[in-house]
Amino acid sequence: MATGLARASVAHRRGSFVAAFLAVFLGAVILMSFASLLDTAGGDGVGKTDRNTLTIMASVVGGWGVLVVASAVATTLAVAARQRAGELALLRSLGATPGQSVRLVVGETALVALAGVVLALPFGYGGGWTLLRLLQNSGQVRDGVDFAFGASALAVGAGGTLLAALAASFGTARRAARRRAVEAHRQASAGGRHTSRFRLIAGLVLVVAGASCAVVTATSLDGSKIDSQSVAGEGAILTGIGFALLAPVLVRAVTAAAAPLLGLLGSPGTLGVLAVRQRFQRAATAVMPIVLCTAISTGTLTMQAVWNSAHPQLSADDKGTAILNYVVVGMLAVFAAVMLVNLVVAETTARRAEFAQLRLAGATPRQVLRQVTAETALMLVTGLLFGTLAAVASAVPYSLAVTGDALPSSAVGIHAAVVAGVAVLALGAALAAARRTGRTPMTTALRPAVAA
Amino acid sequence: MDSITRGGAAEALRLSDVVKVYGAAGEGEGAGAGRPVTALDGVSLALAAGTFTSVMGPSGSGKSTLLQCAAGLDRPTSGRVLVGGTELPGGGESELTRFRRSRIGFVFQHYNLVPYLTVRQNVLLPQTLAGRRRRRAGAEAVAVLERLGIAELADRRPAELSGGQQQRVAIARALATRPAVLFADEPTGALDTSSGRQVLKLLRESADAFGQTVVMVTHDPVAAAYADTVLFLADGRLVDELSSPEATEVARRMAALDSRVTAAGAAPAGPGTPVTAAARAFRTEVA
Repeated sequence: MATGLARASVAHRRGSFVAAFLAVFLGAVILMSFASLLDTAGGDGVGKTDRNTLTIMASVVGGWGVLVVASAVATTLAVAARQRAGELALLRSLGATPGQSVRLVVGETALVALAGVVLALPFGYGGGWTLLRLLQNSGQVRDGVDFAFGASALAVGAGGTLLAALAASFGTARRAARRRAVEAHRQASAGGRHTSRFRLIAGLVLVVAGASCAVVTATSLDGSKIDSQSVAGEGAILTGIGFALLAPVLVRAVTAAAAPLLGLLGSPGTLGVLAVRQRFQRAATAVMPIVLCTAISTGTLTMQAVWNSAHPQLSADDKGTAILNYVVVGMLAVFAAVMLVNLVVAETTARRAEFAQLRLAGATPRQVLRQVTAETALMLVTGLLFGTLAAVASAVPYSLAVTGDALPSSAVGIHAAVVAGVAVLALGAALAAARRTGRTPMTTALRPAVAA
Repeated sequence: MDSITRGGAAEALRLSDVVKVYGAAGEGEGAGAGRPVTALDGVSLALAAGTFTSVMGPSGSGKSTLLQCAAGLDRPTSGRVLVGGTELPGGGESELTRFRRSRIGFVFQHYNLVPYLTVRQNVLLPQTLAGRRRRRAGAEAVAVLERLGIAELADRRPAELSGGQQQRVAIARALATRPAVLFADEPTGALDTSSGRQVLKLLRESADAFGQTVVMVTHDPVAAAYADTVLFLADGRLVDELSSPEATEVARRMAALDSRVTAAGAAPAGPGTPVTAAARAFRTEVA
């Protein structure tokens, strides 16, 4: 039976390593792709106009890319470190100093992150090269410009991702290690209700910044130029990240509003509300990628639809710009989607013992799955609502600036498709993970799994 | 000895020739891919309602497997299990859950209270899941908490309670459904001596005052002595029985079992010391 437990623990740990690896790998690929445009811009014989275009593309799109990647990587690693709180408490009680246990966690993170970054190199190179070709095909950069991959790609792409990963795991591990053992166990079971003031202020600042982008787009930008689209796009991203930071507060508000509705689902609905209420931080983890995925894809796709409807006869350059937009939004949407599945699976799997406790108290397997559905629905409603708000904040002003109408008719279809996709991903991941935890015999799952 | 039966009072639990083999064809979990391991080898017993029974045995003797099969947490490979006169249902896990929910209460070494629910909500949980009406169940929950002297903890969460308090809440939850049998698996294993004694007294009182049938698995002779009867298990069979037990006698019989098992080479070495230590601890406690 001891071997069964060890196997389960290794399998569980493997899951959290895979999650951390994926976050770092995909994040590094995206950041390297954009940062390599800076290397290209610095090449010999690149004209002034080309240099400007490349620098703007790299810093504007890459700039919010850094924010998205850093927050996603940080969240994933913070979740992984938090889930080891019990193990850290055990190490502490066996005589490890706080410093030693932090070094253990950060050391493991460094290994996983380094592997992710190194494997990302060829893909980052390919991504950057593709971006340059798209820029050249759409006529924004001259064909003669040669692709370069160097210091900027490595510093921003590799260095930035590594730094975000290490900082996140260091911060979480240090907080966990400093607690006394008893407190650590309590914290691990409570999952945190407190939202830091820094997080709240940063969230508010970003939402305000995003909203001001929207105002600028609607009032002072020339709708016939491409740069209004990038300002508007930035608005969606900034507002989205702001809402992602505010997620614990937003989940709380949505839970309060939706509690009576979920109560109609019977006891699993009621239990789901109680579970989320005690652990807004944990619930907020999954809200972050839902907001980002919704804001980025709906915002960018709608703006492209606005442009297309204003210009029925797309020029070759317009077509190139459209493809570029699709590629950029595709990269970030895929990244956010992978993060979503990652985080939902990690959080659900970590609740194995809790599900077994519910089963022992008389919950049928179906009731446990219904509770997971209710909790995921709360996160989905929060994420989709505020992700949509962020997208609207960018798409409506842009549409007003370009066409004078609030939104093109195709926006509804785009939004519906994004909502359906995100909902299927989140519910699918949560239910599959919950169902998988049910395969462990209840009595095994109930044993206090220190390693989990 | 194969069968222990008492006449008279209603029957709370009956096992007939229960066999559990891990690692046999069709058994996914358990001892792994090696040869099959017989954890229970034809166990038969019948317990009258309102009795308190301890199950003891060397490690690997099948104590936990016996509890899991009797409590419907696991299905025996063969044989019959009747709780409160009704046989464990066939069919899926949902059916088995509903059966446990209405007939069986659990107390485990690690309390297993749901962390985000208050004490009251935890005690009410089985009824809530069964969809029973809230107001009446709520009054019953408070009544049980009062009976156990922990009504003032009703609005706290498990993390705010001591181990002893959490275990008393777990007992309250198990009693609240008025189960045919309350199963306790090493209920004092994680507690200090004095909290452990309180929990054992509570189980004793449940049998005496409320007529609750209690089955407790333990390795501690002092704990086992709180029961009316101690059943001894070795190599998956019931091998001995002791009525109105005293801890020293329980320890002596356990030592005999341990040396028998060690002589057969089936259990880890070093049986004498812990039992002697436990017996010594008991003597100090009595003195």
